[in-house]
Amino acid sequence: MSNLHDDDTPEVPGPSLWPIGFAIGIACLLVGLVISVWALIVGAVIAVVFGWLWVRELTLRHATPAPAVAEAEPVAATAEPAMETYDRGMFLGAATIGLGGLIGAAVTVPSLGFMVLPSFVGDGVKTSDVDLGPISNFPEGKYVITTYVEDPDIGEVSRRTAFVRNNGLTTDGQPSFSIVFSRCVHLGCPIQPNGPADGSPLEYAADGKPPVTLQPVLAASFGCPCHGGLYDGEGNRTAGPPVRALDRYEFSIVNGNLILGRLYSVGEVLGNGASAKISKYYHAYPGVHVDGVERFLYPIPTPGSRS
Amino acid sequence: MASKLQARRREEFKRYKEDTQREGKPFFPYAIYHDTVMSVVTVGVIIGLSFVWYFTADDTPQGDGLEAGVLGPWYADKADPGTTQFVPRPDWFFYFLFYLLRIFKWPETVLLGTVGIPTICLVLLLALPFYDRSPERRPLRRPVAMVAAILTVISMGVLTWKGATAQEALGSEIIASGEIEQWAAEQGFSDSREAIDGASLFAQTGCLNCHVYLGIGNANLGAPELSEVGATGRGADYFKSYVANPAQFGNNVMISYSYLGDENLGKLAAFLDASKGHGAAAEGG
Amino acid sequence: MPKSARRKQIEAVALYPLDWVEERSGLVGYTKWFLFRKVPRDINWMQTLGSATLTAFIVQAVTGVILAMYYKPDPDRAYESVVKITDEVTLGWLVRGMHKWGASVFIILMFLHMGRVFLFGAYKYPRELNWILGVLLLVTGMAEGFTGYLLPWDQTAYWATVVGININATGPFVGPFLAQFLQGGLAIGPDTLSKFYSLHMLVLPGAIMGLIGLHIYLVTRLGVTSPPWSSVAAGRPRPEENGPGGGRRGLIRDPAELEQAEEGEL
Repeated sequence: MSNLHDDDTPEVPGPSLWPIGFAIGIACLLVGLVISVWALIVGAVIAVVFGWLWVRELTLRHATPAPAVAEAEPVAATAEPAMETYDRGMFLGAATIGLGGLIGAAVTVPSLGFMVLPSFVGDGVKTSDVDLGPISNFPEGKYVITTYVEDPDIGEVSRRTAFVRNNGLTTDGQPSFSIVFSRCVHLGCPIQPNGPADGSPLEYAADGKPPVTLQPVLAASFGCPCHGGLYDGEGNRTAGPPVRALDRYEFSIVNGNLILGRLYSVGEVLGNGASAKISKYYHAYPGVHVDGVERFLYPIPTPGSRS
Repeated sequence: MASKLQARRREEFKRYKEDTQREGKPFFPYAIYHDTVMSVVTVGVIIGLSFVWYFTADDTPQGDGLEAGVLGPWYADKADPGTTQFVPRPDWFFYFLFYLLRIFKWPETVLLGTVGIPTICLVLLLALPFYDRSPERRPLRRPVAMVAAILTVISMGVLTWKGATAQEALGSEIIASGEIEQWAAEQGFSDSREAIDGASLFAQTGCLNCHVYLGIGNANLGAPELSEVGATGRGADYFKSYVANPAQFGNNVMISYSYLGDENLGKLAAFLDASKGHGAAAEGG
Repeated sequence: MPKSARRKQIEAVALYPLDWVEERSGLVGYTKWFLFRKVPRDINWMQTLGSATLTAFIVQAVTGVILAMYYKPDPDRAYESVVKITDEVTLGWLVRGMHKWGASVFIILMFLHMGRVFLFGAYKYPRELNWILGVLLLVTGMAEGFTGYLLPWDQTAYWATVVGININATGPFVGPFLAQFLQGGLAIGPDTLSKFYSLHMLVLPGAIMGLIGLHIYLVTRLGVTSPPWSSVAAGRPRPEENGPGGGRRGLIRDPAELEQAEEGEL
């Protein structure tokens, strides 16, 4: 068509809806890379379908009809049907968009993936089965401020604190521990036990691992210095903005030593001590409701947070 | 669609351009001179603050840089992700958001304080030229805009100041700020080691989360103020039994603090008994 | 007195480099236009706040570049590198102090500048786009403050960042994902500091510089407003626009005009 124009005005393609569908498909694809394989597949399908429709529209619309001159020629023995031809300009335009899109994708998608994905793959900071020492170090009925390094490979940045209480034995004769994470579940500030220290701190070091510090305290409640959150002895919220009970650690006992497991979030704790009933959820961020009607605001747990 | 208003705006802009061309002054040197002076003041202030900060903090030759001067210390302690004694605070220009979070202290409203209100305010700020459409620019003829602006400035100022002075009634803060010694001086038990230890225990054990003592603490949970509880004359033994088992005395809200142990309970009781109220120090009580 | 031919010759030689650049790029012309463009004659000192903010940003950029030459963005070495800058590097304390206090001055000046623009009504037509750019600058400026606060890796830095990231996490639906992206994982780890450093040094300053460029372009194109209460404000209504008696035309019917209308002349 462009050979019919004598002036300089460029011919722009008309408005079209296919690029919107294509963009939605690409967005779905990138989100799916983070969240789930199904979203990725759906996104890829949408992108391919709409991309094909878009390219088709760009190229097919401007197919030039066979020139009228040809009809005046005597019909040749081999009567070929007039072929649809592409205008050269449109072909180059489509090729540019196609190749340009390909190059753009080849550069952008890996870079975006590199920027975004590593935060979402893997288990994040591994608890790495931290060995907290023999259970005899934990006096029954008392909270012990236990500070440890979660992952020695990444060092001090993974230092954490938990409040560990030996609850004695359950009715089945199993050892019971309440291991409460020391970060407030409102916005993550470090919680303080409401009570004085009881005696001097102990240290326990497993072979080749950073030492674990144990400081017993006389405390039956916790408070947060940031926005006024208060918790009772089981980690339930008693006052202030915390949206659920304090997070806890799973644990196991191996050769008489207390070994930390994974973190999980708690809706509330009924009862106390060895007979407490803990409503357990995936490990959620502070401020995220795990029960009640507000939990529908956070429908998708981030990758790696499910235990 | 309000094209008359738009025509009026366009005409005003046209007049503006004509006036500026006809009566205006060249940017260099008239306006840029003012700009330069102000920039010099700005850089001077920044350098001045740096000098004050550096030379008033830790001026001992072999100091560790942790002593605060007028504008804070050279360094705070290194990051300790496992601390249980630190009181986090954001940078000062976020104090208004910080205090907003303290205002919304019910779990259902957390979202309002963290995301809701800041987002609404930002949208209002961004969309300002689209809902304030009158061409009037003189302040005295824009009462709504001026009142809104003054209210905004005042509320942000108040929020920032309250964020700066916010303090939890937590043991570590009270002890660190020397409050115990002040209590001892005011109540007159500075010479009683047991009462002073009891005061520290009182602060650390979270009693101020429910009670008020000499102006700090929490008043809205129904627990009585304890500043003058010693003046009732019940004696330390009474207080010791009470704190160990409040239910025995008919109090089913307060938990039992018997876990503190006999010695600690004794200290607490001595402190409560010594808390006889204002003016007790003067009377030698 | 008229210039001598000799003097004109000398001037031509001296100005030759500028003419050379001008002919090949037009830049000299733009610079001259920027410097000597007309601004209203009644602008006052309050209107220097914008350029003061720009100066504060330049101070931040320059001191930031110098600090980046000595700062180590690794959790095990960041704090020690800041101590080294303050104690050992020549005038390191001054550069660090200027960067630290320059940040506060930058934020204060941005708010003051925003207040001044609001007071003058300088966000109204045709400067609405400039206001939007300004609000975006405010947001990116405060984001710079937030990301930079983590870099010394001390207690205040670490915990303020924990809370800031968790505030993001409370956003519905995407909040936890945004928080996990900022943290670089399920908790603050070794990647968090690097990511914040990259944002603070590269992404946000790039965005701020681009926005400042657009902001200043619009200021020069649209002009600076006069103080609205000024009696000689540029753009004030012309006297002849008012009807007879000084009021707005059309409010009071002028008998002479009525007659003309009846005779079909208006």
